[in-house]
Amino acid sequence: MDDVISGAGSILMGSLAKTNSVREPASAPRVSSEASDSDERLLIAVGNHQDRAAFNALFSRFSNKIYAMGMKLTRNEQLSHDLVQEAMLTVWQKAPLYDLDRGTAQSWIFTLTRNRCFDILRKMKRQPATVSADDIWPQEGDIDSQLVHEETGTMEVEVSKIESFYGQLPAAQRAVVEQIYIHDRTHEEAAAVLAIPLGTLKSRLRLGVGKLRQMVGTEV
Amino acid sequence: MNIDAKYHPTPEQLEGFAQGSLAPGMNVVISAHVELCSTCRKSISELEEAASEEWLRSAPATRASSINFSAMIDRIVDHPQMKGDDITRNNVPKIHMLDHSVTLPRALAKVASDGLVWNQLAGGINQAMVTLDDQTQCEFLYMKPGSQVPVHKHQGNEVTLVLDGSFEDELGHYKPADFVVRTAKDLHQPASEEGCLCFAVLDSPLTFTKGLARLLNPFIRYRFRRATSAAAY
Ligand SMILES: [Zn+2]
Repeated sequence: MDDVISGAGSILMGSLAKTNSVREPASAPRVSSEASDSDERLLIAVGNHQDRAAFNALFSRFSNKIYAMGMKLTRNEQLSHDLVQEAMLTVWQKAPLYDLDRGTAQSWIFTLTRNRCFDILRKMKRQPATVSADDIWPQEGDIDSQLVHEETGTMEVEVSKIESFYGQLPAAQRAVVEQIYIHDRTHEEAAAVLAIPLGTLKSRLRLGVGKLRQMVGTEV
Repeated sequence: MNIDAKYHPTPEQLEGFAQGSLAPGMNVVISAHVELCSTCRKSISELEEAASEEWLRSAPATRASSINFSAMIDRIVDHPQMKGDDITRNNVPKIHMLDHSVTLPRALAKVASDGLVWNQLAGGINQAMVTLDDQTQCEFLYMKPGSQVPVHKHQGNEVTLVLDGSFEDELGHYKPADFVVRTAKDLHQPASEEGCLCFAVLDSPLTFTKGLARLLNPFIRYRFRRATSAAAY
């Protein structure tokens, strides 16, 4: 992934530096500013800043529901307790990978819980360990991986054209490209500035850079 | 990978997949279709949203008083978090058939990675059974060009996902990514002119209805019992 991004960097670097007047608000569709403690906002705080208080809030919102799902499916208190532990651990570990553009936080937490529950049930029923939940349900980044394509060779293109291509990107992708290539921020810094999860930043960057390369490619 | 499939899982199957309520064998075959079909991927994420709504609305707020949740939180936040680069993607095993090889969707690649044992059945059919749970019979089927499965009906549901080549029956012609569902009422006779690799999941045994093939019935039932009892040890 990095090769794609740095490859495009050589095209973009410097050429866009003048266009930083373009400062669209980072579009984060499901996080409205008035819902300051939405699940999404809490999850982003956990993923971007290891925010302990935000994790506590998510824990108190979801642990009972996770426990209830465990009791419904296993009818076993110990296993349900394990499910809470494993699902919330996965929430903590994978929070940086959460992608706003692919669904709500509650749906994301639901799928993590469903998957851990599948694995717990499989062990409980002593089914063959051939396939785990992560083999069955797509994981973060799987879809994006199909968008990566290798290109070789140098591309010569006028700076003004790149600027006009850049202007054609959707606002959300443009904001991310701007942070990385114009302000030269790291992924982590850019995610924090835009208040989006690292996973969302990376997927928007991939999409935006992919589109730019495509536009550049069709021009030369 | 995106292929325009003509035949998709039923809405109930997609819903069960999103909710996580299906047997592993059925999950695997639906997963393989969904990986190939952007239409169903979109449905799945909508169904997951709906399932999460339902989960939050209906789950009672019970908690076991004996659990020390703040100690649990302390243990959890001691763990390091993942970065995007931590995701390791499974390599993609292929199945080699005669003169070519077929790249499998992720879940099926995992299933096949343990190694497949192929058996020759009558009519130019090769079969490799896999045991994924105790409720379904799962198998890779390779139909040689010009082969025909004896007329049969099912006691339960049969799902067939085409992976390579194509097959046809009374109701249609099925190509890669097509997800063919046959219920207990359907009587059908699949055949393949060009040859076909597919993955089939059956939730109860087949019964052959015509001629000498009927002799196979006790054998089929035995095979099904064996396939499912292997899972129950
Ligand atoms: Zn489909």
